[in-house]
Amino acid sequence: MAAAAGGGWAAVREKFRAARTLSAVESRKDPETEPYRSKYSARALLQEVKQLLSAAEEGGEARLLAVRRAVLEYELGVNHTDTEELSAGEEHLQRCTQLLEPHRLSPDCVSLYIQAQNNLGILWSERDEIKTAQTYLESAEALYNQYMKEDGNPPLDPSEHFMAEEEKLTDQERSKRFEKAYTHTLYYLAQVYQHLEMIEKAAQYCHTTLKRQLEYCGYYPVEWALNAATLSQYYLSKQCFMESRHCLAAASVIFSQAEQAPSAEDNETEQDQQDLRQRRAEIARCWIKYCLNLLQSARKLLEDNIGELDPDRQSELKAQRKKEEDEKEKGRKKAVLFGTSDICDSVLAMEEKVSSVYPLDFQEAREIFLVGQNYVQEAKEFFQVDGYVTDHIEIVQDHSALFKVLAFFEEDYERRCKMHKRRIDMLEPIYADLNPQYYLLISRQLQFELADTYYEMMDLKVAIGNRLEELDSHTIKKINSLAQLAIKYYELFLDSLRNPDKVFPEVLEEDVLRPAMVAKFHIARLYGKLITSDSKKQLENMQTSLEYYTFLVDYCKKYPDAVRAVETELELSKEMVGLLPTRMERLRAKLCPFI
Amino acid sequence: MPINKAEKPDKPESCDNVKVVVRCRPLNEREKATGYKMAVNVDEMRGTITVHKTDSSNEPPKTFTFDTVFGPESKQLDVYNLTARPIIDSVLEGYNGTIFAYGQTGTGKTFTMEGVRAVPELRGIIPNSFAHIFGHIAKAEGDTRFLVRVSYLEIYNEEVRDLLGKDQTQRLEVKERPDVGVYIKDLSAYVVNNADDMDRIMTLGHKNRSVGATNMNEHSSRSHAIFTITIECSEKGVDGNMHVRMGKLHLVDLAGSERQAKTGATGQRLKEATKINLSLSTLGNVISALVDGKSTHVPYRNSKLTRLLQDSLGGNSKTMMCANIGPADYNYDETISTLRYANRAKNIKNKARINEDPKDALLRQFQKEIEELKKKLEEGEEISGSETSDSEEEDEDDDGEIGEDGEKRKKRRGKAVVIPVSATNLLLSSSWCQKL
Repeated sequence: MAAAAGGGWAAVREKFRAARTLSAVESRKDPETEPYRSKYSARALLQEVKQLLSAAEEGGEARLLAVRRAVLEYELGVNHTDTEELSAGEEHLQRCTQLLEPHRLSPDCVSLYIQAQNNLGILWSERDEIKTAQTYLESAEALYNQYMKEDGNPPLDPSEHFMAEEEKLTDQERSKRFEKAYTHTLYYLAQVYQHLEMIEKAAQYCHTTLKRQLEYCGYYPVEWALNAATLSQYYLSKQCFMESRHCLAAASVIFSQAEQAPSAEDNETEQDQQDLRQRRAEIARCWIKYCLNLLQSARKLLEDNIGELDPDRQSELKAQRKKEEDEKEKGRKKAVLFGTSDICDSVLAMEEKVSSVYPLDFQEAREIFLVGQNYVQEAKEFFQVDGYVTDHIEIVQDHSALFKVLAFFEEDYERRCKMHKRRIDMLEPIYADLNPQYYLLISRQLQFELADTYYEMMDLKVAIGNRLEELDSHTIKKINSLAQLAIKYYELFLDSLRNPDKVFPEVLEEDVLRPAMVAKFHIARLYGKLITSDSKKQLENMQTSLEYYTFLVDYCKKYPDAVRAVETELELSKEMVGLLPTRMERLRAKLCPFI
Repeated sequence: MPINKAEKPDKPESCDNVKVVVRCRPLNEREKATGYKMAVNVDEMRGTITVHKTDSSNEPPKTFTFDTVFGPESKQLDVYNLTARPIIDSVLEGYNGTIFAYGQTGTGKTFTMEGVRAVPELRGIIPNSFAHIFGHIAKAEGDTRFLVRVSYLEIYNEEVRDLLGKDQTQRLEVKERPDVGVYIKDLSAYVVNNADDMDRIMTLGHKNRSVGATNMNEHSSRSHAIFTITIECSEKGVDGNMHVRMGKLHLVDLAGSERQAKTGATGQRLKEATKINLSLSTLGNVISALVDGKSTHVPYRNSKLTRLLQDSLGGNSKTMMCANIGPADYNYDETISTLRYANRAKNIKNKARINEDPKDALLRQFQKEIEELKKKLEEGEEISGSETSDSEEEDEDDDGEIGEDGEKRKKRRGKAVVIPVSATNLLLSSSWCQKL
């Protein structure tokens, strides 16, 4: 190493180091008018280093020189990419990988090679060539795996090729940097898969990225926890409750670490505290959705064709569960487990608190419900109605949904009815205080849900009544009043669709078409359910009912596009429109038998 | 219920989307002198904008379609009448309206929004709106009273600042209340009596916007500014009582179109949306994008703007976005990116839907009942409600309940003077949120 031997080598190292500092640190302070000033200075320095190296080419060790040149090509490649000169950037990066190709699996080259491929991936993604980007990143991934299998020792960091012997990094530091480069490979792949709409793979790579952040301590606890909680929601939509719970448990554990950690500075502001409380509430909301989805999915599995719990299904699923418990789940779990052993224990303890298998009876459902309800309280502590109307109502709606699904598991009709009453009690006051000018859509949701709930309660009262020998007046009154309330809220909903002149729209917009038709349909049916001994009144109710059924039929005749939104309802309405007049005729005949 | 004929049938496409308008300015003197060519073709009839690359002929031209487009020859008053006027009208009727202005420096955004105040025919959307509002007020008759207030704020780095406040450094909070919707705590509001007042206050806010910013250009390109006009109108209703209705107009100067400045020496193109985020700090966004919003909760990721404008984007308000572009070929990349952004805005829809359970169970039960009913009718048996004897008491009770309900309903109507229609049902899609 002729040139490198003396002060020349020291100068080279110094220049290289200066270039890196310019590029990474100084460039952030560049003025807007010259955003790449430091990058360009860094580039000039790198060119000088390259010159000096070529001069030394003669007597040097070929391999060592090749690797150093590759480092320079890499730095130049990144520099050109950063300054939006993609073609030049690509050339440099390609030269880098060509130089390294023969040695890419050796400890002095592997890290650089992977980073060069990462950058080629980014470069091609900026050219909208996502498939090419994928090729580079996947080959980086494969190289990492091969290296770890064949060698596995912490490889050199690229910067070490321009360091004096005494500056060289420790194995620990080498490993940290190498793993970090690979974490980026995975993170970039996650995005590539996302753009290619390979959602499952994208999620898997996000998961691995999170996992590696935890393992190599490269994370901010609050941010990490929030990301894990968000990922749990992905798993929810895929019905992967075990994975979802694992993400949430890890999120809660890591988050509480952040809360407990003595705040780095004592001058933590009120705002920071507030932010932290909000994040906690956000995670609680993710937990609520977990409980809710788990219960709702279980209901779907268990319900028979009239929406009641099917006991055969129930025992079948219980038997099946016993068999599966041991085998499958443990295998699945290994792949996604977060964290080092110390965190692991806390996460497992957290998981213990709520099941991740479908609840199959009331007792099991209730336990999940209670966990969900606790998180509702926690979330509401931050998201109070005064200040966070939208969020608060969303949480209350979830609470109501929790009661609703729990009611499915409850066998006793009276108790089931009480659960629905709880929903009414939480929704009605919120609805009453809401100004529909600013919360039109939420108002409509609440109107609809209140109507549905009253309807449900009425149905239950009817079912209870049917078990009695004879309907007593109290039950009849109850049934009628519930039906009237249901009608009231459906009507309020329909009124909300009217224009300022109070005119009902002739054409219903796509997003309210089905709800509006269903509201009309339900009102029709509710009028048919009202109980009265006064035949005249009964005729009136039947007439009203007929009018509402007719609305559906006429509307669909006029706008055939609407049919597919309400196919079944339309069929039934048509039948009723056919049957009701006959029925009314009979009733009239009975009223005035002599005409 | 009979179907009433709607008096003002809405155009279906304008019902639930943001109305997007694009305006292209003419080549300026400097551009003409330098010899730049037009790269943009505006077809006002079809509502399309076509952009071609002048240097490489092999790239096919790109065409975008919008609700309304304005070419280089367009007149300020036409722009106002076709875009902002209907929104101002609805605000005066008690609705909320929002006008977004979008576009890079040098694309004529300021000319479109403000124009040349001294020359009546060159006035932009803002002074025209002011004039329109006070013109309307001047014409009002009888007992009708108006109260007009304005406020002006800025969002920079997710912090809200009162541009009309005494303390410019104070960071304000976005809050919500059931009766008034979204509001900014402690935001100052000024009552104005005429268009000149309004103008002066806006100018004052403008000044404050640049104070404290080390680099005005950089600052304004990364901050959103919202000028809000609240119009309360009280008038005697047919019932003889005074009714108050309130409409709000938000004028939003959107950030985000200003990209990294062009680099003089090497003259590179502007960055297209980077496909891969380099920093792991954006992992959260990547994960959020994977989650299907239905029946899940995606933790809130900073967007004060979205929250602030949620009633503009979430239900009963009319919303318009006005995007501005430059015509010259050297603006190609900016123009394309602005048009893409505007195109996305077009598709903003509301996600807040009615959670309606598919009631299969109920329907099947109903089916059964119908079968029974049919059978009975065929058999000639008559069907009637249950026959109970204590009908009188029951009827009374029934009436009582209905009466109470009726009253409650009246009360509700009394409170909500303005019953909003579903004029625009929009909400930010996640990509839009991020972009905003």
